[in-house]
Amino acid sequence: MTEATLILVLVIGTALAFDFTNGFHDTGNAMATSIATGALRPKVAVALSAALNLVGAFLSVEVALTVTNAVVKVQDSSGAPRPELTADHGYALLLIILAGLVGGVLWNLLTWLIGLPSSSSHALFGGLIGATIAGLGTAGVNWNGDGSKLDGVVGKVILPALMSPVIAGAVAAVGTWLVFRITAGVAERFTENGFRWGQIGSASLVSLAHGTNDAQKTMGVITLALIAGGHWSDTGAVPFWVKLSCALAIALGTYLGGWRIIRTLGKGLVEISSPQGMAAEASSAAVILASSHLGFALSTTHVATGSILGSGVGKPGAQVRWGIAGRMVAAWLITLPAAGVVGAAMWWLGHLLGGYAGPLVVFAVLAALAAYMFRRSQAQPVHPGNVNDEWDGTPSTARRQEVTA
Amino acid sequence: MRDNLGFALEGAWQVLAAGLLLGAGLPAVFALGIRSLAWGTGGAAEVAADARPHPAGRALAGLCFLVVVVGIGAGLYVILAAGGIA
Repeated sequence: MTEATLILVLVIGTALAFDFTNGFHDTGNAMATSIATGALRPKVAVALSAALNLVGAFLSVEVALTVTNAVVKVQDSSGAPRPELTADHGYALLLIILAGLVGGVLWNLLTWLIGLPSSSSHALFGGLIGATIAGLGTAGVNWNGDGSKLDGVVGKVILPALMSPVIAGAVAAVGTWLVFRITAGVAERFTENGFRWGQIGSASLVSLAHGTNDAQKTMGVITLALIAGGHWSDTGAVPFWVKLSCALAIALGTYLGGWRIIRTLGKGLVEISSPQGMAAEASSAAVILASSHLGFALSTTHVATGSILGSGVGKPGAQVRWGIAGRMVAAWLITLPAAGVVGAAMWWLGHLLGGYAGPLVVFAVLAALAAYMFRRSQAQPVHPGNVNDEWDGTPSTARRQEVTA
Repeated sequence: MRDNLGFALEGAWQVLAAGLLLGAGLPAVFALGIRSLAWGTGGAAEVAADARPHPAGRALAGLCFLVVVVGIGAGLYVILAAGGIA
């Protein structure tokens, strides 16, 4: 096996691992409210979400090959890698991608461990930006685009992250308020049952949109790596096995369920009822679909969190735990730079060792840290059996850090 | 930076408008359906437990739920027509 083949195999493996973490990190975005209100049993909810993510991944007919173009300049506009990076079977480019992916995976695992929903796309972009700065300098980063459309780190990552949670929250607040106004005077035992159906429907729509949105990114990254290595040449299509493996990876991750994050989203922010859950998921689905239709990139995590907060604001008398919301926002702010620092460090490590050793050591670091974080998570496991326990009653990881009011 | 901010603000209004129409409007219609259904069912569905059932309420509820289903169908069509989400 040549050095270039080895690094290509490691890139594909790490990309699928990222896709997998992307799945369980984001299960809660669609299903946390349905699980919290009891509309769906936890296992049924993750199975439904996984199936819809699988379907959604195959619906993504538009080729996402230029996904990295939004933030880094390693491809030309057709999606082909820049020629100066593809010498030596693309080793230089593949090392940047590998280091970036490792940054994304590690950040996803860390935020999962502490039960914080953070954006998987920000983690991926952050890792890639860090590795690119390390490998090519700051000129390799597409900070602002060329001014002709919404583009670059500012246009595709930072501005949507600032705006989308506010918009989703406003929509959910209006929706919740309307729903409670309209159904005032109807017995609660009647509304809870009816709104559970609405909740299941709207949550399903979010799951489907998630599969279409996120699996695509990994497909684009793997195809870019294949082109760099000279194993694929069509910049207009993704190989079928790439599509299939990405779809399966995100669906498996979703089925595993990121219970720690589901718990924070479903129980930590707001004590949620069925009408609120439906309003929140409907807001998320509408904002994600409207944005995609208009061609804006956004993070499903930011939208879902904004919506759930909005449903707490919109319900008269509901309590919102702003302290937890604040911790989430803090995590969002550091996601991009933190994943970037890891991506840059990994690139330096890989570059310093070079040859066979560089990528192997980078991969070994990933595996070791992943195993460590998994072991830490076992000390205080969150699973389908305790995901819905009272927020203040159980010793969850997140709660230990919460300041008692 | 300024270009991007302009594009983003322009898009934000459109997303907010579409979001309010579909993301808050459809749940409101759904809620109206639930309200009608409770009125149609009468009895224990209403807070005042002695309410009589009204068949018209069931018909109105069916209409509301139909509007919601059509709205969701339109959303799915957008996913397929736009060819995935950027």
